[in-house]
Amino acid sequence: MPFQFAKNTVTAGESCTVEDALPLLEFLQSHRGAKVDLGPCTHLHTAVLQVLLAAKPKIAGLPKEAFLARWLAQALGPPVRKTAK
Amino acid sequence: MSTPLLERFIGEARDLLQGAASGLLVLERQPGNEAAINDVFRSVHTLKGSVGLFDFPAFTKLVHAGEDLLSVVRAGQLGLTSELVDMLLDALDQVGAWIDSIESSGALPAGADGVSKEMTAGLRAALPADFGALQAGAPAAHAGDLSGIDWLAALPETDRLAAFAAAMGGAEINAVEYVPVEDCFFSGEDPFILFRQLAGLHCLAIEPTEAWATLDALDPYRCILRFRALTTAPRTEVETLFRYVVEQVRMAPVPPHALVSVTGDRNGGPVYGDFVAEARQLVAAADWPALRRAVDALLHITGPALLLASALRWLDAVLAVPTPNPNWLNALVDCIATGETDLHPLAFPPPPPAPDSVSPLPSRPALAPRRTGLGGISPTAARILESQRTILGLPLPAGGLGARLDSVAQTVANLLAAEARRAADSTAWTAAVDAAMAQDDIQPVLQVLDHWLLVDDGSAAAAMPASGDPARREHPGQEIKQANRVLKVDQAKIDTLMNLIGELVVSKNSLPFLAKRAEQVHGSREMSREIKDLHAVIDRLAQEMQGAIMAVRMLPVSEVFDRFPRLVRDVARKLGKHIDLVIEGADTAADKNIIEALGDPLLHIVRNAIDHGIESPEDRDVGGKPIQATVLLRAFQESDQVIIEVVDDGKGIDPEKIKESALAKGVIDEERAARLTDQEAVNLVFMAGFSTAAQVSDLSGRGVGMDVVVNGVEKAGGSVTIASVKGEGTTVRLSLPLSMAVTRVMVVEAGGGMLFGIPMDHIAETVRVHHDAVRRLKQSEAFVLRDAIVPLIRLDRLLGVESPAWFGDGSEEDAVLVVRIGGNVVGLVVDQFREGMDIILKPFDGILSGIGGYSGSALLGDGRVLLVLNLKELL
Repeated sequence: MPFQFAKNTVTAGESCTVEDALPLLEFLQSHRGAKVDLGPCTHLHTAVLQVLLAAKPKIAGLPKEAFLARWLAQALGPPVRKTAK
Repeated sequence: MSTPLLERFIGEARDLLQGAASGLLVLERQPGNEAAINDVFRSVHTLKGSVGLFDFPAFTKLVHAGEDLLSVVRAGQLGLTSELVDMLLDALDQVGAWIDSIESSGALPAGADGVSKEMTAGLRAALPADFGALQAGAPAAHAGDLSGIDWLAALPETDRLAAFAAAMGGAEINAVEYVPVEDCFFSGEDPFILFRQLAGLHCLAIEPTEAWATLDALDPYRCILRFRALTTAPRTEVETLFRYVVEQVRMAPVPPHALVSVTGDRNGGPVYGDFVAEARQLVAAADWPALRRAVDALLHITGPALLLASALRWLDAVLAVPTPNPNWLNALVDCIATGETDLHPLAFPPPPPAPDSVSPLPSRPALAPRRTGLGGISPTAARILESQRTILGLPLPAGGLGARLDSVAQTVANLLAAEARRAADSTAWTAAVDAAMAQDDIQPVLQVLDHWLLVDDGSAAAAMPASGDPARREHPGQEIKQANRVLKVDQAKIDTLMNLIGELVVSKNSLPFLAKRAEQVHGSREMSREIKDLHAVIDRLAQEMQGAIMAVRMLPVSEVFDRFPRLVRDVARKLGKHIDLVIEGADTAADKNIIEALGDPLLHIVRNAIDHGIESPEDRDVGGKPIQATVLLRAFQESDQVIIEVVDDGKGIDPEKIKESALAKGVIDEERAARLTDQEAVNLVFMAGFSTAAQVSDLSGRGVGMDVVVNGVEKAGGSVTIASVKGEGTTVRLSLPLSMAVTRVMVVEAGGGMLFGIPMDHIAETVRVHHDAVRRLKQSEAFVLRDAIVPLIRLDRLLGVESPAWFGDGSEEDAVLVVRIGGNVVGLVVDQFREGMDIILKPFDGILSGIGGYSGSALLGDGRVLLVLNLKELL
């Protein structure tokens, strides 16, 4: 399961393929204000990226992988600080 | 091993080869024909792509070499000579032979590797010397050029600084813009990941090409992203990486100074008058280390968001090399001095380092051609307006309003000027800015902007289809959406269908017999009438079905004609003649079997025309004819016949020469030769064993002459005539039935009640001849028909059937069918004439196929078998 959908957060799996774009979009459509954690992600398909760009969810964590970290930070904006519980 | 995939490949490959070959011929005549070179290239490219699915390395290599050569030709680096065309055509022929081999055995023939190596080397040798290095592994991909990169300034400054530093270090910076087609996800592309493989990526901006739809309406699989990148990778590398989407990529080299743009908040810092003065002195003195120290020092105490800081950072970057460009430094220092938000200060100095490669104001010229006139603005302008609107909406630092308003006002005013907006707009804008200044509130300005954006959204969108960027709108996906409406069907299936329809016709024909029986045997006249009614309906349907299936089998004659341009060219080149082949009526259609039967005879005729008909250029010159000879290949329909004519303007046929030659070969005797008319003499070329070529060439004149043509055409139910005027040319005319499926025959009775069919084409007339009128000449009989003696042959005897003993007087009549066979008229005595009918002729097969004298059989409505005679063989 590439994306793990929790109550109000999505955690990306290692490889997010083109098939994952639709589930992600559907989740973001039904959970406005959901946070997305891309931390574990090492491969992000353009379609998924497009959903993220369009939906502009809060980014809880950027990928650790260098290329994604570098360019996603610019495209998606800096990750939001975790709000104190 | 024959998989469906391989079968499809074989079919496709043949089409592609044909396309490439005919394209090459067009190209040879019109070397500048861009559509043709693109066609040829695409065919070969596709072929290379599809063959890559299979394990035929020799094949792939050869096609690849051909593709490389074509790509160089396409790029205009190499002129297409006849030798080159020869080479490419040879390669295509070889590939065609391999495809045959793959089809029959599933593998390339032995020795293919060697052949491939040799031909590949030959093709490669024709390439320009520098090609190998350039193209190592890369297909001929050429990304479009970016004209006017108007988006550099929008890239983050840090990225630009990094790229600038790399450029100063000697690297060449390329700007790449990649706009994937909307349905790219469906073809398995992943644009973002492509950039991961791009070395030396300094900047990657990912933006939507249009406003995002609301989240609910978003289609995640329609790609509307646009990627813009700066890279130090060389152009060839980028093209290799993007080779599959190369038409969606545009790129351009970026001169380093184009990267420089100073942005930031221009107020809110002290004016560094001292620094400016000092810096100018240092630049003049070329004391770079000192200047650098000064810059660094100042940078530390300047707020990073300020315009000044930006300028300083650029100064620092320019100073990073041992010998900085003083013009650039001065420009940047000026920028600090005036505090002007000049986007590209370095483009302005009069002697820019590379004057020809700079677009002084990259963003504005790009706007100018896109203005949409009344009310509409270009999408770019709309974007700028929007961003200005956003800037105004941002929370303000205290006292920053004036500065921000100022800059926005200036930007919008420039934009209005560039877009050539109506004066009213400019006035409204100035008024709004003044009002905002006066009230110390941005509301008036916001209102104006909002209003424009609202209105312009609508009108800009409306104007888009007409004036929008065509490159982005018309992507090839649209062609794909119009699904291919053509079915490729195996001919066997059509033939089965046709046979079934044929049987239907036959069984339908038994209905009248049934009707007769109903009336005569069962005495029910009403029943008989109903059956007849039903028969009429089925008859109509069957006829329509037959018509429909005939239409399916119809092919244009271009199927045959298409190979002639190549053939004529090759033969003409071999013989050193100049020949222009003109094809007319290539879309005339005829049954597939007819078209196929046409191939060989036509080949022979055309070869004959070129070899014997057309004179050498010298002879033509002497004869006062244009050196370029013309061979006209013309097809048209005449009632239910297709007529194909091969007309040449060569030397024509000399009847005397033909007579001499025929005499010499013993085809005719002297007495007959004397009686021959010119036309009859010309017709002698159709006789077997006749060839007039003075010397035997490898093209024609191998002892098989026009008689082969005649046989071929007559087998298909057609006829050949030839007309020639000495010194002016020859016309060979083939007439063939449109369709072979239905044969019209006359049914006759012979041999005491046996039925035979005789093809209607042969029948001239039917007569009844008194026994007294039959003259006996030794063993043979004859009678006089309108003053001509017609030999009489009894069909019974011909077929070896015992003829019934005849006891009667001379007043009885013989039924004589006068038939015309190969120009001779013969009377055929039969027992009785029956009706004419359309039949579906089935040639004998299996054990019967060896029986001569019959062209086939057909089923009659009452279930009897009708034998159809082949009179030509019988007589």
